[in-house]
Amino acid sequence: MTRVVVTGIGVVTPIGSGRETFWNGLLAGVSGIRPVTSFDTSAFRVHIGAEIPSFQSQASTLGRTSQLAIAAARLALSDAALEAERLDPGRTGVSIGTTSGEPLYIEAYNNIRKAEGVDAVPAEMMSRYPSHVIPVHIAMEFGLHGPCLTIPTACAAGNYAIGYGFDMIRTGRADRMLSGGADAFSRITYMGFAKLGAIAPDRCQPFDKDRKGMVPGEGAAILLLERLDKAKERNATIYAEVLGLGVSCDAHHMTAPDPSGEGAIRAMTAAMKESNIAREDVDYISAHGTGTLSNDRVESLAVSTLFGSRARRIPMSSIKSMLGHTMGAASALEAAACSLALSTGWVPPTINLENPDPEWGLDYVPNKARRIYPRIVLNNAYAFGGNNASLCLARYGD
Amino acid sequence: MLTLSAATTLRFAWRGMGINGMNQRIVVTAAGVISALGIGLEEFSLNLYSGRTAAAPSPRFAGFTVAEIADLDPQPWLGSKGIRTLDRSSRLLAIAAKMALDGAGLETGDPALGLVCGTVLGSLHSITSFDWSGLQEGPAWVNPSEFANTVINAAAGQAAIKHKLRGVNSTICAGLASGLFAIDYAADALRFGRAKAVLAGGVEELCDESVRGFAEAGVVPGEGSALLLLETAEDAAKRGRTPWLEVLGFGCFALHADGAAEAMRQALEKSAIAPEQVACIVSSASGSRTGDEMEARALERVFGKQLAKIPVCAPKAAFGEAMGAAGALCAVVAGLSLHRQQIPPTAGFTASLPISGEYALVNAFGCDGNNASLVIRLWKP
Repeated sequence: MTRVVVTGIGVVTPIGSGRETFWNGLLAGVSGIRPVTSFDTSAFRVHIGAEIPSFQSQASTLGRTSQLAIAAARLALSDAALEAERLDPGRTGVSIGTTSGEPLYIEAYNNIRKAEGVDAVPAEMMSRYPSHVIPVHIAMEFGLHGPCLTIPTACAAGNYAIGYGFDMIRTGRADRMLSGGADAFSRITYMGFAKLGAIAPDRCQPFDKDRKGMVPGEGAAILLLERLDKAKERNATIYAEVLGLGVSCDAHHMTAPDPSGEGAIRAMTAAMKESNIAREDVDYISAHGTGTLSNDRVESLAVSTLFGSRARRIPMSSIKSMLGHTMGAASALEAAACSLALSTGWVPPTINLENPDPEWGLDYVPNKARRIYPRIVLNNAYAFGGNNASLCLARYGD
Repeated sequence: MLTLSAATTLRFAWRGMGINGMNQRIVVTAAGVISALGIGLEEFSLNLYSGRTAAAPSPRFAGFTVAEIADLDPQPWLGSKGIRTLDRSSRLLAIAAKMALDGAGLETGDPALGLVCGTVLGSLHSITSFDWSGLQEGPAWVNPSEFANTVINAAAGQAAIKHKLRGVNSTICAGLASGLFAIDYAADALRFGRAKAVLAGGVEELCDESVRGFAEAGVVPGEGSALLLLETAEDAAKRGRTPWLEVLGFGCFALHADGAAEAMRQALEKSAIAPEQVACIVSSASGSRTGDEMEARALERVFGKQLAKIPVCAPKAAFGEAMGAAGALCAVVAGLSLHRQQIPPTAGFTASLPISGEYALVNAFGCDGNNASLVIRLWKP
């Protein structure tokens, strides 16, 4: 079957936009977490978030999530040195993961409803909400006609969307896919996680024994996935090869992971099986690593169970310690980081990790980036609804 | 410095195996349907073929004409335990799932049993209400169990918990084409060996926010859920099940003046059939002037003179524009038509007509630019 490679990386994140800024920031341990500015948090007990204040939403009929996603797609195409006019429009598609789509329209609907009554809400407002508009807007922006959809599998959505792009290319239905994830900072998400008591008060410390929770964020990451022969034909820079996706569902609880880690293990196992690699081949794990106790426990347990005595020797870090939890964008940003780890040899650290939780004794890459020249990496993502998705990427050329 | 593992070098061998997997025949062994036209395949079919329409002015929605499921009682399918926290989308999807699972005689709890759900708006009412309660009473007073229902994939997650569906669990948003994209996604999951059996289709709920926001002249908003139980022909045979239908080629083409026609052409080409082999067409027409005219032109471009000989039905006249559920509901209509060798009447427009043949084309076109078509076939070993 056709091989699929990553040849363009476009990111808009709380630590900056564009591949270089993003990667330099991650390796330097830059945090994008700061006080929330997009709404008043005085009624909350927590006040921090990972917003992108420098990304001003333009007044338009496009929601903020679409705007973030288009910006990331444009960066991905320019990073791939592939202008939109050189794309074969009928053979190029878009797949986007998101948690909330365009939730700011729901917030606007309720704001108007509260101030002036529901009849004052413009009729067309709700038509801008459905999440499928995000890839449609990208496809319109670049004139693309290939497979075009959103996979809103919450906080694992980016991996699902990249997996879909991979499938479209290897089954011959597209030559290139703009695949990734996007979410805008939303008071709905913030309220929910705050009510669950899941938001940390000051910083995000995955895998630290003093971790206090996750930090909601926003962002977008789009990878240009390309058929290997097409990439070679134009001498593209290849960051990584996509090997396979593994998915599972806990069917246990809407917001809490199955404490046995069984679903997470099944997803990693399925990803390795689809990629035809053995456990011994995994050199690095990009953790879901939100910073909540339940995530830390279940993910560490799953990795320890699956990899046995070797688990302690596999570096596993969480870039959410720096970017916060960018929801549907998160696993796409992590896939971008994995691709860069494979192409540069470096893996990013877990920052704010002062007292690594001793329970599993795993190597969480505390505070300092490390050069380990990984060949094969797993990118884990877990979500509401009990969704688990692990994506396997490899250094190209091996 | 680093050496390749033997496993990695075997990747090419695996790729060869994958191609064989891609040739697996995908079949439908059961279906679950809940819509304003009927609950369960039997009632749905009876009302569909009698030419009934479920469209009526609704007291619940300030007199808007909608096709709603009145007095939805999930108890017979879902029991009473744990359904309080299921919102309307989740209930509809879980009911359709239960019907399909019972019909297929499958054990739940199998880690290879998945669910792929198309939707446009997801749990729109839950999201809006959750935000509204925070706005009215303050963020400290929102209900955390309602937060779980604010994600777009809430229905798929809830249905998975209810029925112990532990395999691939995905939600697909591709506008009005969502339901057909979901079926294609599920078929791929089977071909890639990511699942052994997948419930695939869609769900859409009617709520105040959607009825207000999507009112379009001529279109009757609808709701419901339809799920097809897909598995490979090989697995169905192993279980001793005779398939109801076979899923053939899928086509999609977005944001193009010729997009609907191109989606149909792709679906026919991938099914390796000529336009004249199509016995009937289940249209996406919903009463939207621009949408219906666009589809009519596209049908003419693809079928030319043949079109006069191919019966076309537009079942959204009967069950409304059920958005994310529409593609799968239309696929069910196509299945019924093939089995009866008769298309249902288009309520208030055309009569039921006999058909002759084994292939049906199902269309799901959206005015916002996403178009999908799917060919399904009567099962033949």
